Amino acid sequence: MTIKVLDPTAEGPAALALPAPALPTLHGARLGLLDNGKIRVDRFCDFVEEILRAEHGVAEVVRRRKRNASAPAPDDVLADLLACDGLISAVGD
Amino acid sequence: MGARILEMADAFEANEVFGRSGWTDGLPIVPPTPALVTAALDAALLAPDQVVGVEPVRGLAITAEKVAVNAVMAGCRPADLAVVAAAVEAMCHPAYLLHGSAASTGGSAPLVVVNGPIRTELGLNATDNALGGGGANVVIGRALRLVLINLLGCVPGVLDHSTLGHPGKISFCVAEDEEGSPWIPLAKERGVPDGVSAVTVLACAPPRQVMNEWTTVPEEICETFAAEIRANMCGYSIWPGNYVLVVPRQLRDLLTAAGWAKADVRRYVWERARVSRGDWEAWGKGALVERGDPAQEFRALESPEDLLVVAAGGSAGGFAAVVPPWLGNRARAVTAGIGVCLACGPEEER
Repeated sequence: MTIKVLDPTAEGPAALALPAPALPTLHGARLGLLDNGKIRVDRFCDFVEEILRAEHGVAEVVRRRKRNASAPAPDDVLADLLACDGLISAVGD
Repeated sequence: MGARILEMADAFEANEVFGRSGWTDGLPIVPPTPALVTAALDAALLAPDQVVGVEPVRGLAITAEKVAVNAVMAGCRPADLAVVAAAVEAMCHPAYLLHGSAASTGGSAPLVVVNGPIRTELGLNATDNALGGGGANVVIGRALRLVLINLLGCVPGVLDHSTLGHPGKISFCVAEDEEGSPWIPLAKERGVPDGVSAVTVLACAPPRQVMNEWTTVPEEICETFAAEIRANMCGYSIWPGNYVLVVPRQLRDLLTAAGWAKADVRRYVWERARVSRGDWEAWGKGALVERGDPAQEFRALESPEDLLVVAAGGSAGGFAAVVPPWLGNRARAVTAGIGVCLACGPEEER
């Protein structure tokens, strides 16, 4: 005698957010850099931008900043970042 | 039923498999059999595929069936599901800031305040040990945690990056003692009609208990509340927002004997719950004082209405609790009707 139980987890493709494929090269790329708005993340991003340009040949870095680290970036910020070849969005805390 | 069916030897194996799979909060679960889940959905008049809420950031739809599965696991009786579903609906409102509150290092818990006739129908606890369990409060609060874990991936170290979290994350549900208070119930203050049950949900830091059994003067009682909020502003977060204030019978009796209603409590605390930038110095946060004018003033409440006063607690003792917001005004309290849609109307009125 067995019992049947139901899966408690989210099922289906909506539960999955897949990362985008990696860029073939950073050389000449236009990258977005999203500052989550916490204190000194702007300084941290300065270093990231410097490294991206000097060591990886990134051509352009589009810097944007969120006002609320715990909420999604607003639509106008996302629109600017979507125009980039790639995006770096990290948690600065 | 659309959920995948798993076959287990018995309830013990179900507990072992669910625990090993990361589908629990660490406590034992009631195996969610199709019969129990169906009974809960029937009691709440919910169709299995009905979308209870959509998490706004990732767009994840939460179905009634999955909420019911997690509610059964938490130990909910069929009739409890309606409260859980209403709380999930409220948490999915953008103002609640579900994704951020569930992921933040700040470690918040959804505090659920239940109002209306369903409190007595379900035997929810609003009196002795009001914040410490009893009645179905515990399983309703726990069901929300399991929903967060299993349906939104709020697993510690994965999406949930709470530095500490707090015990309210296990379960944090209180009913208002409407029968023991002459004050207007919270849900009614927030626009819910008489006779309709409702939940009010807020992402909260842990409760801060205070005690004042040394006065009968309403201003002094409320000064204790305001002082605790000031301490929270310096020690935890300066952001203004929805603070919850749980007031027990003994203090309510003194306040009402002096003619004070909730509005009077709110007005006093709103006026007194403010600190200056310079106050941070004494809290080891001198670095913040240097960032502006030390005389700059901050209020905990942008308006008196931001204070959510809840009548709850045992008959003896001058113990009250301030429950601070997790992230000030960026995450607001949201009220939802239980088994009804407060925002719905006939087609032409929408």
